[in-house]
Amino acid sequence: MAHQAHSFHMVDPSPWPIFGAVAALLTASGLTMWFHHHSTQLLTLGLLSMLLTTLQWWRDIVRESTFQGHHTPTVQKGLRYGMILFITSEAFFFLGFFWAFFHSSLAPTPELGGQWPPTGITPLNPLEVPLLNTAILLASGVTITWAHHSIAEANHKQATHALTLTILLGLYFTALQATEYYETPFSITDGVYGSTFFVATGFHGLHVIIGSSFLLICLLRLIKFHFTPNHHFGFEAAAWYWHFVDIIWLFLYTTIYWWGS
Amino acid sequence: QGLKPIVSTESPALIFGTTTKLASDLPATDSFLGKNKVPDLQKLFQKADGLPVHLKRGVPDKLLYRTTMALTIGGTIYCLVALYMASQPRSQ
Repeated sequence: MAHQAHSFHMVDPSPWPIFGAVAALLTASGLTMWFHHHSTQLLTLGLLSMLLTTLQWWRDIVRESTFQGHHTPTVQKGLRYGMILFITSEAFFFLGFFWAFFHSSLAPTPELGGQWPPTGITPLNPLEVPLLNTAILLASGVTITWAHHSIAEANHKQATHALTLTILLGLYFTALQATEYYETPFSITDGVYGSTFFVATGFHGLHVIIGSSFLLICLLRLIKFHFTPNHHFGFEAAAWYWHFVDIIWLFLYTTIYWWGS
Repeated sequence: QGLKPIVSTESPALIFGTTTKLASDLPATDSFLGKNKVPDLQKLFQKADGLPVHLKRGVPDKLLYRTTMALTIGGTIYCLVALYMASQPRSQ
């Protein structure tokens, strides 16, 4: 059996990259068919194949690391770089929507009544549910740090409790935000105020759901003893992502909800 | 996980990280969490059977893989047909 003379991971041949690309094709053309021809079959197929591909791809990464031991310190360093670069790209993604918000709100046009919030828009009170949501996400930042310390100290039970609490807080945020969306007196079609509000907070909400799902997978892995006190990068990546989601909310709250009201 | 200095597809000995928590280390009150199956899974996935990691578990992996393949290939054909029809000048 040949042994490699380096510490990198030469992966087995895998079908998931090309399947993922096809899933993206089906999703993109599915969106087209939905928008222009009122048909959702292709979109459903695309989202389903995307889900299947990502689940199996990430399942294989767990197998390669926890069960086959391929994640040497060198490999882990690469994964850290990768996650940091990904989160940075997401930061730029949100930057665009914040740019749009400030573009419209710093110099409101006469069509808006020369004021921000525009004439006719009653914004949400930032000291009601939005403030509660801020407290929830900040608390979840504390609980996830508690979970991390517990993992590093091999305190399995406390880690499980702390991570579960973090996920529950995330779900609570999502539920509250959903009720807020239902109760707002304005909608996404209400001019540039509606557009900037719902696109920015909407994408943030999607990231909360993604982050909560990532944390849930980590909880399942934690329960199954996949993490060791010294090697638990999957959890760290989820924690980084979760802190990022929290920080984006803080920007959203202070700019759109508070300054913009 | 184990930190292996070399990677080989066959491992006569189980690869344990020195920091892996063994089931025997858990206090009795944690029995509700179930037994630590990681060592067994490590043995399973390190078997020298030449299978790639996405098929290593046998039948369930094969079924899932074939389902995904069927959906993506079928979907591609459907996509090409739908786009061809959508590009025709007449309305449907």
